[in-house]
Amino acid sequence: MLGYIIRRLGSTVLVMGIVGVFVFLLLHLSPGDPAAIVAGDNATPDQIAQIRERLGLDDPLPVQFIRWSGGVLQGDLGISIFSNEPVAKLIGERLEPTISLSLTTIVFAVVIAVSFGVLAAWRAGTLIDRALMGFSVLGFSVPVFVVGYLLIYLFSINLRWLPVQGYAPIADGIGPWIQRLILPTIALGLAYVALIARITRTSMLEVLSEDYIRTAKAKGVATRPMLLKHALKNAGVPIVTVIGIGIALLIGGVVITETVFNIPGVGRLVVDAIAKRDYPIIQGVILLFSGVYVLVNLLVDLSYSFLDPRIRY
Amino acid sequence: MRTTRRTFVHGSMATAAATTALTSLSWRQGMAQESGGTLRAVMQGDLRAFDPIWTTANITAYHGAMIYDTLFALDADMMPQPQMVDTWTVSDDQLTYEFTLRDGLEFSDGTPVTSKDVVASIRRWAVRDGAGQHMMLRVKDIVARDDKTFAIELNEPYGLVIDIMAKTSTPLLYIMREQEAMTDPMEQVTEYIGSGPFIFNREETRQGAQYVYDKNPNYVPRSEPASGMAGGKVVKVDRVIFENIDDSQTAMAALQAGEIDFMELPPIDLLSVLEADPNIAIDVLNQTGNYGLMRLNFLYPPFDNVKARQAMLYLIDQEEFMQATFGDPRYYRKCPSNFACGTPMENDANTEWFGAAPDPERAKQLFEEAGYDGRPVTVLHATNIDFMNNAAQIVAQRLRDIGVNAELATSDWGGVVTRRAVQDPPEDGGWNIFITWAGAASANNPIALAAHAANGTKGWFGWPTDEKHEALRDEWAAAQGLEAQQEIARQIQENAWNFVPHVWLGQWVSPVAYRTNLEGILKIPEIIPFWNIEKT
Repeated sequence: MLGYIIRRLGSTVLVMGIVGVFVFLLLHLSPGDPAAIVAGDNATPDQIAQIRERLGLDDPLPVQFIRWSGGVLQGDLGISIFSNEPVAKLIGERLEPTISLSLTTIVFAVVIAVSFGVLAAWRAGTLIDRALMGFSVLGFSVPVFVVGYLLIYLFSINLRWLPVQGYAPIADGIGPWIQRLILPTIALGLAYVALIARITRTSMLEVLSEDYIRTAKAKGVATRPMLLKHALKNAGVPIVTVIGIGIALLIGGVVITETVFNIPGVGRLVVDAIAKRDYPIIQGVILLFSGVYVLVNLLVDLSYSFLDPRIRY
Repeated sequence: MRTTRRTFVHGSMATAAATTALTSLSWRQGMAQESGGTLRAVMQGDLRAFDPIWTTANITAYHGAMIYDTLFALDADMMPQPQMVDTWTVSDDQLTYEFTLRDGLEFSDGTPVTSKDVVASIRRWAVRDGAGQHMMLRVKDIVARDDKTFAIELNEPYGLVIDIMAKTSTPLLYIMREQEAMTDPMEQVTEYIGSGPFIFNREETRQGAQYVYDKNPNYVPRSEPASGMAGGKVVKVDRVIFENIDDSQTAMAALQAGEIDFMELPPIDLLSVLEADPNIAIDVLNQTGNYGLMRLNFLYPPFDNVKARQAMLYLIDQEEFMQATFGDPRYYRKCPSNFACGTPMENDANTEWFGAAPDPERAKQLFEEAGYDGRPVTVLHATNIDFMNNAAQIVAQRLRDIGVNAELATSDWGGVVTRRAVQDPPEDGGWNIFITWAGAASANNPIALAAHAANGTKGWFGWPTDEKHEALRDEWAAAQGLEAQQEIARQIQENAWNFVPHVWLGQWVSPVAYRTNLEGILKIPEIIPFWNIEKT
């Protein structure tokens, strides 16, 4: 197991290296010049050239790449072209909102979706099953921003129960922190509820038809232990896989949700940076995302052996 | 305990209701506590850079107006008035301007503002500002006579010294401490100690989320009432926060819910929703607004031929462009003046084409006279900004309608900004047409606005060349008095609409929205001021 983890961590570094090269080339070979954006509308070609020189953007690409990658290897992601702040600091400031939103979304989605999936499988073919699965289809089909605006309209503008937008750091207290995350969590989480609930139902239905479940019922095991202890754990591998995929997909959803609910997270940081061609920020964030993606997949793979002891690495 | 459907549903609902009730209560308590002296505003975009000389982004100019003061400033009638300057004199030969700073000027760190700070600030600004460069060509020296007096010595008479120092187009001449003003103009300053009515609170600023400005206790306002950027900048709130809300619908909802007090750019198509809300006022602060501009590349066919450029005057229907993006006729107008409408230099010289346009047949005939050979005409198309997106598509379609082979080169605005600087032929990465906009107030000044220059490849994108135009601009700069400038402005326009450096696409204003408990918002072109505002 330890050897497997070390090998996977090694491959994580390799993947991040490949992503780094790819992103660097993609950014620098695609249209866009931060110097022209900095210089503004009234700038002359000479002024743009001078700014480009000061920013080191007129150096040959290999020189720029070596400079950047050398910094990354020493833990320095560079300096933002526009804000003049270290990229690591900017990302660090934005991590808390993104991690908070991601965690609340995952908890919300898993709790609701697994409950829905188990309930739907338990009551398969009934009105409850159809209602829950219909709800799942709806959650999967409606875009995050539509759900977001509807929630804002209902709970913030009409009922005045919750704030429209913004983020409160957890250091300000759990109350302000959670109140600003309720609506974005629901908006972002609905799609994952749908995804996980459907897989949970399918997996549970398969397990519930197994002989050992029938035996458990015959022995008089109560419904709740039978569903949660016997059936759900054995249906866990595909559910955990989907949760893992969901976490990876969250990266995309978080960008939109952060924009709709004005949460100053990493997603908005990178979107702003792309518009301005702030290369160091874009490169830093994508490196981070790629690392998270690979590590989440590693954790999902490791969880298989916990859920199913027959799986060994 | 057995889990039943009923207990499951009831439990879930109870948990949700309890959480919502608790958090809702604490949120509303928080709102009540916040309403005192803090004004929350959503501006046009994120404040990414803090040095208003290093970048010409409008939002950074707003930031500059919060924390820095200016030597002169435009009043509500767009006339320059002294601001940090107390008195000034001009020598009889018009070659020496001598200025005395007013008493009590201090930076936010408590150190006095001296002539050395002013001289260094002018020198740094002049490197980056087009009008400043134009002035410096005539400047022999800028000297600090003593702590409160400085002088600008000229090689030749120049009538724009005061106007240029007062202008509101970016970059404005903000006064920094000497140690910051000595920074290379191509690099950002790193300390933001200002001379203006607010202090930039970097500790509580969260980059990308909110930018905090506290009232500057060291700032001494002028005694005159506030007027435009001039007069007494009396701060009547304790704190102003620029909230960065990217999504305009979210910002609008936040305004309706009372989470913010001011929104600079509410979406025009949703204004009726805000107008129906009794707690929200809609107003136009920048009365001259913005104008849309289509630049034509003088270096390559077909627009190296004046007939093809004149054809574009006849092809364009400004109403169509304005309607496509701004919809509501209360907020836009057609305008034929090369100095924008509603400005002191507005005039109607040589605008016969304006009454005739759109005249596609005439445009087609002029393209034929220009010898257009069917080659592709590359239109740069920025998709992420509504006006530019719509305008580029309309231009391309109208060109196709008269048989011109228009091709859209699609990217975001960042891509357009890069490509428009390329002087290669269109087929090698250059272009024929690009679309932008600018503040109409800046169009009033043929020196301050780079798009007014016609000095070839060292000038602004499109690179028009016209010696007569350049001579007239110099005459305008040397002219003494408004009437003399207006007369030369007519000649400039007469000539401009003959050689056609660009084509106007219309002029519009952008209404702002704010909670009705704000009073005293000043109407200024190009800058949103936060002094003089009371929150009741």
